[in-house]
Amino acid sequence: MTDPFALEPVLQPDERARPLFHDPELTHEERYDAFVEHVQAGHKVEARDWMPDEYRQSVLRFVEMHANSELMGVLPEREWIMRAPNLKRKLALTAKVQDEVGHAQLLYRVAEDLGKPREQMIEDLLDGKTKFHNVFHYPTRSWGDVGIIAWLVDAAAIVAQQALRESSYGPYSRTMKKICWEESVHIMHGRDVVVTMMNGTPTQREMVQEALDRWWGPLMQMHGPRSDRAKDRDLFWHIKAKTSEELRQEFLTIYVPRILELGLTLPDPELRFDEAAAEWRYSEPDWNELRTVVTNHGPMSQQRLDFRRENHDLTAWVRATVLAPPAATTAVA
Amino acid sequence: MTAIPERRSTRQLAQPDLPSFDIGDLDPPTREALSSLVLTMADDEFVLGFWDSEWTGIAPMLEEDVAFSSLAQDEIGHARLLYEMIAQLHGGKADDLAFGRTADEYRHCRLLDHPRRDWAFSVARRWLYDTADAVRLTALRRSTFAPLAQIVEKIRREETYHLMHMDVWMRRLAAGGEPRERLEEALTSLWPDALSVFATVPEETRLIDEGILAAPMSELAGRQHERLLTTLASLGLSVPGPRPSSDDGRDRAEASESFRWLWSEFTMVHRLEEGATW
Amino acid sequence: MSQERTGPLGQPVPASGPTAKPAPSPEGRHDDAARLGEGAEPDVWEVFRQEKDGDPMRHAGNVRAPDRELATHYARELYARRQESVRLWVVSRGDIIDLSDPDLLQPPLDRTFKKPGGYVMRDKLDAARKRAAEAGEGDGGGAPE
Repeated sequence: MTDPFALEPVLQPDERARPLFHDPELTHEERYDAFVEHVQAGHKVEARDWMPDEYRQSVLRFVEMHANSELMGVLPEREWIMRAPNLKRKLALTAKVQDEVGHAQLLYRVAEDLGKPREQMIEDLLDGKTKFHNVFHYPTRSWGDVGIIAWLVDAAAIVAQQALRESSYGPYSRTMKKICWEESVHIMHGRDVVVTMMNGTPTQREMVQEALDRWWGPLMQMHGPRSDRAKDRDLFWHIKAKTSEELRQEFLTIYVPRILELGLTLPDPELRFDEAAAEWRYSEPDWNELRTVVTNHGPMSQQRLDFRRENHDLTAWVRATVLAPPAATTAVA
Repeated sequence: MTAIPERRSTRQLAQPDLPSFDIGDLDPPTREALSSLVLTMADDEFVLGFWDSEWTGIAPMLEEDVAFSSLAQDEIGHARLLYEMIAQLHGGKADDLAFGRTADEYRHCRLLDHPRRDWAFSVARRWLYDTADAVRLTALRRSTFAPLAQIVEKIRREETYHLMHMDVWMRRLAAGGEPRERLEEALTSLWPDALSVFATVPEETRLIDEGILAAPMSELAGRQHERLLTTLASLGLSVPGPRPSSDDGRDRAEASESFRWLWSEFTMVHRLEEGATW
Repeated sequence: MSQERTGPLGQPVPASGPTAKPAPSPEGRHDDAARLGEGAEPDVWEVFRQEKDGDPMRHAGNVRAPDRELATHYARELYARRQESVRLWVVSRGDIIDLSDPDLLQPPLDRTFKKPGGYVMRDKLDAARKRAAEAGEGDGGGAPE
């Protein structure tokens, strides 16, 4: 008979709230395995948790590229803040671009807390050592581009970002929730700009179509080439949850009908939904173009990096003085 | 001061910012004088909003970038409100006023002709403008023309944050070293236009007699000058020059080169298709 | 084809290939640096916000600023510019005590006597009601004499 005064542990060792990989008594191998089990079961990792070097580096690289993209993404739209043709659009576009800067702040903060200083990340970006997403390497030629970007580029981004809300890295997953909430307004703004123009003059309609014709290629490349689920390390670590192809298909499913219903055409004769296979068919995107562009050989890559470098240097004196943290005794330039 | 300005109400339903009014309340000459005054204010806010929105994405630090962008957006929001008031006074649309004039027809003050230059310059110019605007708004807050008084009250509440933020920056830049040098240089360059906000408004006397404006612009200029001197002294900064003129603060033979550039940018898309909706 | 090994929790682990475990670093446990890491920046301020009157303060995120004053301004910008908060608390990260020791927070022995879930008495109640009904007590409504 059980001793009624015995205090039994209610939870078995492997059911305890504290994951195994925190246990310093285990070997490195055991902690690593427990960590893999933990993230693959859908649990979260926090900034101060023990984590394998590979995980930390993978998250950092992923978040850093995302942060870089938000920061560089400001530049194509920034020009058009000055040119917004009415007060409402001026306010909306300024607020949108402000949000992108805010997102860059949120994402750099996540990366900083993983151990890389912000100044270092900006330097690496400007030196071309780290990358930013393809779409921000292209020029914006007209107000039509402003609408197409705010609507479709943001839409493609949000498809990816919604999936990232489930990321295993806690700070990143929470940040993505905030970003997704804010981005939903941008897409509405973008769609409003496009629909207004489509209801306008023939010149306005042509402007939208022309912009769409130029942006469709980069949009199809944006989520990246199809990857092998088994070989994708970011999927392995649950840093991201969906493959490139899943994201692209999702984007096409939602947005192709919305584009076509406005009377716009898409410049891909192969694009169609294959009912039997239950997926979209399309012309193979130009992966060479993608590679060329993201290695900073896109039409606007160098110009934008140079612009950012120039302005970074022009404001270095502020960071070295007024904005320097009190502990810093040397210039943070 | 470090307190965050308190919001007096929590969630507000979207209500029209501009209370509608009956223009029959005002006789035509008064209406005209009022329009002139409000146009100068609208143009001031509009132009400053443009210059400051240039910092979006390239401010010294990301956090500051977001903050400074809010200031620029607020100005555009104030401009919108003021243009809408003029549209109600005269008929027509706010957007046509904002985007539809030639460069020479804008009535902003000379302080706002300067482009944004470096960070110290933008801070100094904004400080000069925001503090002057505060004096102007104070002279309108008890306006007998109720819609104006109401708008002014809303604008003043938003401006609280602007003044706080510029106060923080002025103190930090003035503290010493390179920031202080740059600030002094900026102030010297801006000083001749420091009181241009208070250019005499046509038919100003009528507005004062009607109780719409509390005091002549020249008197407000004097008040602002005193305040500037006091603040500069408290920051340990020398007075950048003799007392600037104010009466002619909006007079120009023609639009400045920098404003011409700005005008060509902000009217670019608008000019593509006359009458189109964007 | 790589030989199948199993980890301590029974899951299969290949010896080579992209999902293989890396050999432990000869220099020691670099991984442990994450445990001690405070992040790269010294000037971080945590922001808590209250969504509406009566709500608890919730952690919203963090900003960098050289001092309290600018930290307050930036907190307002990043976490309240859409009028989404009615109150903010801004705290230097260094002032926050982080407690996550499982021995203190999740001790393993039974604590059910401290929680509502520790008092499951359905069977006992059923037995008590049955006994009372059979004994003619607790009729459920009968007034005492």
